[in-house]
Amino acid sequence: MKKLNYFLAALLGLSLQVAEAQTPKGSVLIKNATVITVTNGNLENSDVLVQDGIIKQIGQNLNAPSGVQTIDATGKYLMPGIIDAHSHVGLDVVNEATSPIVAEVRMKDVVNPYEVGLYRALAGGVTISHAMHGSANVVGGQNATLKHRWGSSDPADIIMQDAPRTIKFALGENPTRVHGRGNGIQPRSRMGVEAILRNGFNEALQYKKAWETYNAAKSQKGNTMVAPEYDERLQTLVDILDGKIIIHCHSYRADEIYMLINVAKDFGISKLVFQHTNEGFKVAPEIAQYTMGASVFADWWAYKFEVYYSTAFNAAILQRNGAITSINSDSAELIRHLYHEAAKTQRYGGLTDEEALAMITINPAKQLGIDDKVGSLEVGKQADMVIFEGHPLSSYAVPQMTFVDGIKYFDIKTDKDDQRQRVSPTEMVEEVMLTEENHRCMQDTEFLFETANALFHTNH
Amino acid sequence: MNMKKTFLKASVLGLLITGLISVQSLFAQSDPTGKKPVTSTYAITNATVFTVPGSPGTKATVLIKDGVITGVGSKISLPKEAKIISADSLYIYPGFIDGASQAGITKPEDPKRPENFVSSNPPDEIAGITPWRSADDQYSGSSSQVNDFRKAGFTIAQIVPEGGMIAGKASIVVLGDEKSTNILKNNTALAANFRGARGMYPATAVGVMAKFRDVYKNTELTQQRSVQFTSNTGVVRPELTPTYSAMADVVNGQVPVLFTAENDLEVRRAISLQKELGFKLILTGLEEYDAVLDLIKSSGAKVLIQLAIPNDKAIKAQKEDVDEATKAQYARVKEAYDQALAQAGKLEKAGIPFAFTTVGEKAGEILPALRKMVEAGLSENAALAALTSNPASILGISKIAGTIESGKIANMVLTTGPLFSEDAQIKHVIVDGLIYDYEIKEKKKGNGNGNGEVKAEGTWEYVSETPAGSSGGTITINKSGSSYNGTITYDNPGGSGSASSPLKDISLSGNNLSFSFDVAAGGMSLNVKVSGEIANGTLEGSMSIAEYGSFTLTATQSPTFTANK
Repeated sequence: MKKLNYFLAALLGLSLQVAEAQTPKGSVLIKNATVITVTNGNLENSDVLVQDGIIKQIGQNLNAPSGVQTIDATGKYLMPGIIDAHSHVGLDVVNEATSPIVAEVRMKDVVNPYEVGLYRALAGGVTISHAMHGSANVVGGQNATLKHRWGSSDPADIIMQDAPRTIKFALGENPTRVHGRGNGIQPRSRMGVEAILRNGFNEALQYKKAWETYNAAKSQKGNTMVAPEYDERLQTLVDILDGKIIIHCHSYRADEIYMLINVAKDFGISKLVFQHTNEGFKVAPEIAQYTMGASVFADWWAYKFEVYYSTAFNAAILQRNGAITSINSDSAELIRHLYHEAAKTQRYGGLTDEEALAMITINPAKQLGIDDKVGSLEVGKQADMVIFEGHPLSSYAVPQMTFVDGIKYFDIKTDKDDQRQRVSPTEMVEEVMLTEENHRCMQDTEFLFETANALFHTNH
Repeated sequence: MNMKKTFLKASVLGLLITGLISVQSLFAQSDPTGKKPVTSTYAITNATVFTVPGSPGTKATVLIKDGVITGVGSKISLPKEAKIISADSLYIYPGFIDGASQAGITKPEDPKRPENFVSSNPPDEIAGITPWRSADDQYSGSSSQVNDFRKAGFTIAQIVPEGGMIAGKASIVVLGDEKSTNILKNNTALAANFRGARGMYPATAVGVMAKFRDVYKNTELTQQRSVQFTSNTGVVRPELTPTYSAMADVVNGQVPVLFTAENDLEVRRAISLQKELGFKLILTGLEEYDAVLDLIKSSGAKVLIQLAIPNDKAIKAQKEDVDEATKAQYARVKEAYDQALAQAGKLEKAGIPFAFTTVGEKAGEILPALRKMVEAGLSENAALAALTSNPASILGISKIAGTIESGKIANMVLTTGPLFSEDAQIKHVIVDGLIYDYEIKEKKKGNGNGNGEVKAEGTWEYVSETPAGSSGGTITINKSGSSYNGTITYDNPGGSGSASSPLKDISLSGNNLSFSFDVAAGGMSLNVKVSGEIANGTLEGSMSIAEYGSFTLTATQSPTFTANK
């Protein structure tokens, strides 16, 4: 067997299954819509022509080339597909919670294209979601950016192959609870979280050096040096240090946010986005200056101690301080109406339509490193689009059709009711998860709290 | 947990060592028992023989000597020492081969956690990474499960060790004389799965995949270091851990990975690891796979599908008088059920030669499940091939097994009718030249207490076979309207005297009675399932307890206590 070059393999970070995928691309002409480009204002009574999944023309009185379907959107709004920068929909596993650093795990390994939540997201106009590892670890797994090509059975088809690598970090109560209180290991405190990060990156530097030394020595005559141990966990941290991976860090408090900014500066890391960031308003200038911004909830807080100091003005304050700001869901329910969530920044902070809509389109695209491909309606971009009845920021807005790469995956009028792709042959009524609307950030960590549960939920 | 299990086994459940009517020992010199066979040469004459899957059955005689087939044909001269078994009305098939089995496998005790145990970095052995373990060490050929599978026609099985994500090495055994080790070949495959270790790294499928890559790549590097160490001086001694040493033959391509993948997504995961790392792959335990037929084919992976079909409880529970929306939902469940049954046939049409695994299945449900697959589109030839020649080829034992030909091991199944017909029963199973005889049951047409009616209600005295001798008690079943309720008494597993439990899921279909009950023992609750056929006021069936196997149960109805009102 051909020996792998481990550095190269880790650098690519893709399984072959992923690299082989060919996804469908469509052509369509949408006529007479109010086109909300997000980046270039609104165009009344305008047409958008899509060919082979790419926006080819935006203008008036465009004609459909032969064979291209025309959709009349008179009186309707056409906007870019909504992008959710924080989601766990479409994943079989969310947390590998067992170690403070699990950078080696890849969410792309456990993407589940059958999860009906993906279709529900489409019904809310969401075409791209950032399927993240959970927040049980200081350094979590590598995330997957998904394009909601509903109906495919192949996970590779719904993974956005041309999106850059991203990874989950988490600060504060979750990692300290799981590892410190749950397992009696570092980190027990916020100081421990910082130590895990700094030690991890320093180890990664040593790992990189060890391989560089070995690779330089192995071709020398009379070499006696042997290959170091392979460690994808450290290799992934090396890739972060080398700027190949964007960090998306679960965080709430201003002090810990500023801590990570300092760690990033010390290690020369610039690709950093904060997630949740409820106290982001306290360090908005720092976030604006040093990072790729913050992805926040519109108004969700008080579900644990570190999330009490919160305000619905957070997004607006971050935005007006120049931080790239997005609104996310972290929930299979909120993902269905992110346009409402974005509209809340107008009620709390008076953002313009364009600023509010940017928070669910071009801004999250920037944070995921895909703003050159999606996030606005511009010629040359991938045709991920939603047609709305009513302005998307209106309380009465209802998505009508959702397109990914020019292919329609949701149509409120013609879709059949039962969209399940997989039906159990042995269950008449499928299990309903009543608690699914909770944060899924901590999914798969229940076993860590077994001891506590056992005290209260026993039969004997 | 383990103590409780041992206690239960000893007290009520245990392993039942019966099931074969005669086991002949071949080599006894002196035989005070009088059981020594007179000869080890047999001629099974004038049977309908299916020598290979796909061949038409032809009338022939099969000659076997010392466990090897020495002749098949219609004009064979029979040696003097041959014992003649006249099989005019019987059908002979090659002995079945189980691609992956855990019959007779006992899970080893979990090792104790060391003092300095850290769940983020546990020792391999505790985290379920035990490639050095062998199924041989976990196997008992005299287990009742082995008897049950032999009775169902299986003559060879690849036994798979119990364990975590990398459980250990499989072996191939014949289900033969329990005095023999029965090993045909060991170290035949590395058993792997996506199950995480509980409460430690790697705990989930995503962690397991990362850890699998880690183990694999570091095995490669360890080998590379070992080569340097042996060919040069001045090289640091490589660290040869049990894991890396035991993984070496997998990384070198000598031993395939037997990856358990229940559904299409897991199949994709196993194949993506295989493509990334380059090992030889056998997929096993497939239950939902119709979405990945093309991928399986193009990957070249070998396939063992689960020899089971989904239960039809949900289908049977569908009612008539429901609204349109419910009807539409019913239709989807029915469609899913039909689709599940039709998968094996689709695998055949896709041209993928597959075999079966019985891990987790009960021997008695094997043949009915297979017949359902055949009803749903699998050809009889392909079904037989999946039981015989395909597994032989997948396991690399085609030279010695899989067909009835001169020179092969004398492994055969003798049935009273064509294998896939509803009425066919297995009369003899020949393993390694030993003949196991089984009782043939007359098919009973619905009868009860002499008046042609089968009744579940009443009081039943039952006896079940346990190692501590027979144990038994009373089953009381009442009928109210069209539903049943009742209780069962049994020897108290927690001490002396008897205990009782309410019966659940009592159902009588035709003359088949089934129910279940829960036994509380030492803080644990065990679900016991009972099913059997009622005829002439007696119930003959089995009692099964998950993990422990099944045991015979016989009950007699007491007519005096059930007044006909």
